[in-house]
Amino acid sequence: MKALNFLTRTRSGRSMDWTDWLSYTYLLMGLFLMFGPVLWLVMSSFKTESALNEFPPSFLPYGQKSVAVPGEEKMKPVYRVKMPDGTTKELAELRRIGLTATLIDPARPDDLIRVNIKDREPVREFKLATENYTDLGGQVKFGTYLWNSVFITVIATILTLLFNSMAAFALSKYKFSGRSAVFLLILGTLMVPPAIVLVPNFLVISELGLLNSLWGVIWPAIATPTGVFLLRQYMLTIPDELLEAARMDNASEWQIYWRIVLPLAAPALAVLAIFSVMWRWNDFLWPLIVLSKNEKFTLQLALNAFQGDLVTQWNYLLAMTVITLLPITIVFAFLQKYITQGIASAGVK
Amino acid sequence: MASLQLKKIIKDFGPTRVIRGVDLDVDDGEFVVFVGPSGCGKSTLLRMICGLEDISSGELTIDGVRANDTRAADRGLSMVFQSYALYPHMSVYQNMAFGLENTGIPKDVVRTKVDAAAKLLRLDPLLERKPTQLSGGQRQRVAIGRSIVREPKIFLFDEPLSNLDAELRVSMRGEITGLHRRLGATMIYVTHDQVEAMTMADKIVVLRAGSIEQVGSPLELYNSPNNKFVAGFIGSPQMNFAPVMAGHGDSIVTAYGETFTLKTESKPASGTALTLGVRPEHLTLEKRDGSLAMPITISGVEQLGGHSLLYGTLPGANPGADGPRITAQVAGQVATKIGETATLYAPPEACHLFEASGEERAVR
Repeated sequence: MKALNFLTRTRSGRSMDWTDWLSYTYLLMGLFLMFGPVLWLVMSSFKTESALNEFPPSFLPYGQKSVAVPGEEKMKPVYRVKMPDGTTKELAELRRIGLTATLIDPARPDDLIRVNIKDREPVREFKLATENYTDLGGQVKFGTYLWNSVFITVIATILTLLFNSMAAFALSKYKFSGRSAVFLLILGTLMVPPAIVLVPNFLVISELGLLNSLWGVIWPAIATPTGVFLLRQYMLTIPDELLEAARMDNASEWQIYWRIVLPLAAPALAVLAIFSVMWRWNDFLWPLIVLSKNEKFTLQLALNAFQGDLVTQWNYLLAMTVITLLPITIVFAFLQKYITQGIASAGVK
Repeated sequence: MASLQLKKIIKDFGPTRVIRGVDLDVDDGEFVVFVGPSGCGKSTLLRMICGLEDISSGELTIDGVRANDTRAADRGLSMVFQSYALYPHMSVYQNMAFGLENTGIPKDVVRTKVDAAAKLLRLDPLLERKPTQLSGGQRQRVAIGRSIVREPKIFLFDEPLSNLDAELRVSMRGEITGLHRRLGATMIYVTHDQVEAMTMADKIVVLRAGSIEQVGSPLELYNSPNNKFVAGFIGSPQMNFAPVMAGHGDSIVTAYGETFTLKTESKPASGTALTLGVRPEHLTLEKRDGSLAMPITISGVEQLGGHSLLYGTLPGANPGADGPRITAQVAGQVATKIGETATLYAPPEACHLFEASGEERAVR
């Protein structure tokens, strides 16, 4: 109800003003432009391979209707047949030889009907090709890729939060000489394009023997200047008196960090966690460089590998793309409040 | 419970000296109030005592043991902060138990101690609430409760009532002094409000610009201030000051030409510039023998029913010029109107005299 009220709000609160028309048209166009392709992708991921190759393409996934015929193991496709007497019937096709198709009425399985293939038309119905999803495991090592992606995302995010918050704690709550210099140095790395550090990073990872290891993807990614900056700015707003009170309360510096500062920085940590999940999940270039063995691929790499040189199994590729999109979509849907808050409070994207 | 000694305590922030050699003894069970205008160093001094600020030089002893380099947590003191500094993500119970848990005390002992403190402060129905769900006065009590459970040697309070509204401030004042009586603990309390200082303290320490101006009981400070600063700071409304000059013998000549007799021990030389101080509540409208007459032009009248406040100016040294502003608190209700002239009388036993220059020490 609340959502409906929100969606039908007008400028004056009563009838539609021309500005309302304008803004709603604009918004709907934006919705169509941005959401249309995603919707098309989801719909297409439920199409069979042959339906994908159809022209003109259909929006909804259609497939040929099929029925079970007594005495036959497989489901048989259903055709609409123009009978010699002028009537039309829906019959199941048993086989087709040359220009002659042998059909059968599932209700009367004893009568075989032979017609010219020109006289029959496939019966189409709305049908979700869920096998695109259910067969994925058999087609590719989907479980392995998913595990690799999840492992990298979760571990890298936890480590990012831990290390960045420790740096931010020191930079915001301790006074030491060179503090602003260190902070500026960390911020300065934002200005170094990632492509420049790609090769040095690769050499380091290679020397450490971390090539083709998931840790080789995780370690270089966890220290982020954005994260340190975001958390530091937030931690500056935590009053020093709380830390002093904790110090009087016999808390060690680690306890102050762990039991006072971290819980209080939770909103900023949530924002960074969302960012980190998105960064790591969508990361493509760095994993592509570090991971070359198929069993170490992340979902993003697997998607890339799916596009073969000669054949591309579009139905599986699309299904996998949808699955790859899902976690980010869910993260966004449930945590968008924090994301906007985080962007607004830290002024970073 | 403990005693505390400060010996020549100095604090430098870079090149700025904010505490300039403070000597002070706090006895066991005393309620000591540090009072002074903002920026006088009273909070810094308190933070040095509790260990949150380093001591640049001098010696701090607690129970006769040097504590300069002891960690804040190990000094056995507790502090109530101006903003209360309650941990917002913890419940009242967790807030009070945090300090005990950190010292590794068994859980059931912590429970007993927190429950006892909560009962003492009437917090027991609120133990599961978060600080944001409490009123200002309740937060204040939680902050005090957090101090009590640690059974500190000395309680420190840093302007704890300044965030409360006037009514609550009065009742919390009573609660804190009541607590002091019940626990018999040593307490050091920082405030810029001289009313709090007067009503709560066993001993007031008046600070200005990092130095102690005077230490004494509230009435000592009120009756015989060491200097003009203390005289002006203690008492409300503020003491009136008027420039005068020492005449022959015990006579004093005011700027507007009035002469009267005021006995002093030090007998300042004739012609010495002095400042006369008299409290508003000691001025009367009835003439008495030997009183100093102060003719003022009324610039404001506040009728408060039981007593009235008269504001006015004395005649200046030159005819026509305005002299110093005078406030008088007279009993009952007055018929005086703005613009009229009235004569106030200051009885000699209520008059203070200060040097007009230098440290402005009290002459009488």
